[in-house]
Amino acid sequence: MATEVILPRLGQGMESGTIVRWLKSEGEPVAKGEPLFELDTDKVTQEVEAEASGVLLKIAVSAGEVPVGETVAFIGEAGEDVPEVAGIAPASPAPVEARNSLLQAKEEPAPVATPSGNGRIKASPLARRLARERGIDLATLRGTGPEGRIVADDVSGAEAGTTVEAAASNSLLQAAPVPSGQVERVPLTNIRRTIARRLTEAWQIPVFQLQASADMTRVNALVARLRERDPDVRITVTDVLTKVCAQALMRHREVNAEFTEEAILIHPSANVGLAVAAPQGLVVPVIHGAERLSVVEIAHVRADLVGRARENKLRAEDLEGGTFTISNLGMFAVQSFTAVLNPPQAAIVAVGATEDRVVPVAGGTAVRPMVTLTGTFDHRAVDGAPAAAFLQSSKESLEDPGLAL
Amino acid sequence: MEQRTSLQKSELGDVLREMLLIRRFEEKVEERFRAGELPGFLHVAIGQEACAVGVCRALEDGDVIASTHRAHGHTLAKGTHPNELMAELYGKAEGCSHGYGGSMHLYDVERGNMGANAVIGGGLPHVTGAALAFQMRGEPRVAVAFFGDGATNIGTFHEALNLAQLWKVPAVFVLEDNKWAESTPESQHSPIRDLSERAKAFGMKAMKADGQDVEAVYKTARKALDQARGGEGPVFLHLDTVRFSGHYIGDPQVYRDRDEAKELRATRDPIESLRAKLEVSDDDFAILDAEVTEIVEASVEFAKNGTDPAPEDALKNVFA
Amino acid sequence: MPELTYREAVRDALSTAMRQDDDVFIMGEDIAEMGGSMGVTAGMLEEFGSERVRNTPISEMALAGAAIGAAMQGMRPVAEIMYEDFMTLAAEQVVNQAAKLRYMSGGQLTVPVVFRTQGGAGWSPGAQHAQQLEAWFVHIPGLKVVFASTPEDVRGLLWSAIYDDNPVVFFEHRTLYPIKGDVPTEIEPIPIGRARVHRQGEDVTVIATGRLVHASLEAAEKAESDGISVEVVDPRTLQPLDEETLVSSVKKTNRAVVAHEAVTRMGFGAEVAAVLQYRAFDWLDAPIERVGAKFSPLPFAPVMENFVVPHAADVLDAIKRTVGKA
Repeated sequence: MATEVILPRLGQGMESGTIVRWLKSEGEPVAKGEPLFELDTDKVTQEVEAEASGVLLKIAVSAGEVPVGETVAFIGEAGEDVPEVAGIAPASPAPVEARNSLLQAKEEPAPVATPSGNGRIKASPLARRLARERGIDLATLRGTGPEGRIVADDVSGAEAGTTVEAAASNSLLQAAPVPSGQVERVPLTNIRRTIARRLTEAWQIPVFQLQASADMTRVNALVARLRERDPDVRITVTDVLTKVCAQALMRHREVNAEFTEEAILIHPSANVGLAVAAPQGLVVPVIHGAERLSVVEIAHVRADLVGRARENKLRAEDLEGGTFTISNLGMFAVQSFTAVLNPPQAAIVAVGATEDRVVPVAGGTAVRPMVTLTGTFDHRAVDGAPAAAFLQSSKESLEDPGLAL
Repeated sequence: MEQRTSLQKSELGDVLREMLLIRRFEEKVEERFRAGELPGFLHVAIGQEACAVGVCRALEDGDVIASTHRAHGHTLAKGTHPNELMAELYGKAEGCSHGYGGSMHLYDVERGNMGANAVIGGGLPHVTGAALAFQMRGEPRVAVAFFGDGATNIGTFHEALNLAQLWKVPAVFVLEDNKWAESTPESQHSPIRDLSERAKAFGMKAMKADGQDVEAVYKTARKALDQARGGEGPVFLHLDTVRFSGHYIGDPQVYRDRDEAKELRATRDPIESLRAKLEVSDDDFAILDAEVTEIVEASVEFAKNGTDPAPEDALKNVFA
Repeated sequence: MPELTYREAVRDALSTAMRQDDDVFIMGEDIAEMGGSMGVTAGMLEEFGSERVRNTPISEMALAGAAIGAAMQGMRPVAEIMYEDFMTLAAEQVVNQAAKLRYMSGGQLTVPVVFRTQGGAGWSPGAQHAQQLEAWFVHIPGLKVVFASTPEDVRGLLWSAIYDDNPVVFFEHRTLYPIKGDVPTEIEPIPIGRARVHRQGEDVTVIATGRLVHASLEAAEKAESDGISVEVVDPRTLQPLDEETLVSSVKKTNRAVVAHEAVTRMGFGAEVAAVLQYRAFDWLDAPIERVGAKFSPLPFAPVMENFVVPHAADVLDAIKRTVGKA
């Protein structure tokens, strides 16, 4: 029977993704682990690997936004029948139910590892790395190496059914579906605890919010042009936003600040953090000195950081030194939102979805791709006027990117 | 090449000055060490000035020396400026070994100083080897080793002298016999009383001189160098000298008879002897003393104002 | 291509250097009329005379020290220490003096001396005539250490050692002297610090020195028939070590065996294993195996000696352990 290729959940909170392009054509042979299609979440573009070997029998969704869990293709033996696509229920927002449906789609349960007596799992460094990279839980593997050690072959040979969603979930959940009607307890990971503590602190800071909308026509054109010129780099709107905000921070240095009991610290450089939903939780890797980088360079740094965030391979220096944060929920149907400050930073910008709106233009109306930016500012460090000026600079640079030069 | 067999009268004033400079330098080193300014540990050669000056003055251009752990006198006598020596003791980049060596690893290759050595007898085979190189290349140069009576017991002494005599290389092995190997008197480290016998065991020519009489040292050194340079084989130069201080600065010399040490100071001081011979008046001596003291003090200033090597410099010069 | 024995290759490097350069000369015990205890310098006395082919008395310290002294004066002496075990006698001069003179003088001195020596078990020489002591000398900053295993390598590397401005401890292996190998017509200097891949493979990297290079190649052949693809690399220079080549190989194969004739414990292989563990940690699919002599002085009786010393079979066992087929 043919294997369904579903749209994977690549990060906590991800509800859908956009298939950008297929890397294999119908009828082409595919090996497990080979890149199959490109998925864009608007934060980052990622290659999704095939989870089975065979022939790519059918591409059900060739491009566009797809909810997580939906079947997008079939892999099987040449000549096999392919079912109609409509049969699979789309993923619901609740993480648990989404995983249930994914599990129901699987054909075989994953073999469970027999850990050594004291609970430690014996695995070679290489096997651990491969498992980490592929989002495979070592506990689900059986080791064939000496003394029952899990070796690389065991990881490569594993059913990758427990792939990314297992990594994305709070890992203590069992593989079996949760029976309905019972309350599910999700134990707190360290990251969760840290997030809770820091946001509680942040909530006590006297803040104010400012909102501005920007016409993204030129930014969209710029991104398209840069992508065309440099297809490997895959510049996103977030990269342009990062650059624009960095420039605006350098023009309005009082916003690139930090409140302390003795003094307000004005940082010399715009170290822009990006909120990333990584499998292990929300992390904010930092692009240091963003004002000095070109958009292309920012894209490189961002791709590297997000990639490593996904693999839980961020280093301390990637997370330190941030002076400002951008939180982008634009890939969802969120028009605007207010982000919580990321202490000790004095400002954060929340980016909503870019959507076509009817706007007044030159006495008439037009339809333009508009985005709403909501800035949250620490009133102890920044007053309304400078914050507004900063937001205005950002809006103006988005609408006319040349102004950021 | 001058054929001078003894020091000229006109030179003796300079010779006295040179010995006194070494003396004041060593005393200053002791003083600065006690003040806690000098790292490591140091061995001064107070009382042995005539050996260093007498031998080094007898050398020709191109001759090289290798020395012991007690090398300040040899180093100054071979031409290293007191500034560079003091700077080395202070561990500064301006030091003759650029801070890498210290008191027991003083090198001044340009001036023919192949180095002090912290391992007893460590440099003796190098002198054999250097002399071998001069012989193989047909150069009229001599390699000279300084060592103490303690070193005549160690393996390298026997091996190096044996080989040097076997190959008849142009070397002179200068024994500064101060009768002490650290805290062990000669009577307790050697079964024979006259260490020149050791040279004879190798069939090597031995010459002797009073190490506290700089003119005698010079004269005998010239003879030794002439023989070696002339291709007649190496020479063992046995200088009878006195170490006024302890083995190292701070050595309480519990092993030494206080009165004996005092008496030696009073009767066997090479500087006092020469001064008396030249009939230098108290006033003239005071002027001389002031001159050399100024040089020594200037060297301390120079050293103190010197540059500390960068810590990372420690990783340089490991390989050529 | 011409063929030379390892012994002839050493002699060729020495002789060619001496023919073109008056500053090169050799000294050692019994190297003149006898041509050396291993016959390496046979014929050289006739060609170069006793000034440049110098017999010395049995005094390793003077031998080593005089070579150092001559090198300090700009010559390029090659001192032969008859047996590796006697490097212990020369060690004061090699370790306290040669290795450190440049450093202690703040860069003033250059000591371009080569200490050639040989070791190797398998003929019941007893504990004091077969040691492999490279671990002592790779541990001393200021010394370069070379251990070639083929005629081509030994010739090219000895040439480079003679012309290196640093003191080089140059190890030869007595069982390799008679082996034949192709050599380039003209001497091609081999850079010090570069490893050589003798055999490419996919499943495990064997890093071997001296006699064990040949034992490892033998083991690799056998492993091939068991379906295991073995890569064999000879570092050739032990200090400085070509970490790049060794690490890339292990990153490719994911498994490593380090093999030398010296005692395993605290040996040179331990340093290689540490370097591999550190730089290729996430690539290792098995613990790093070490093959070497067992921890005892070398026994005299052949059955005991055979037990202590490593062989091709030991390398094969280690290979199999790494791929989990032991």
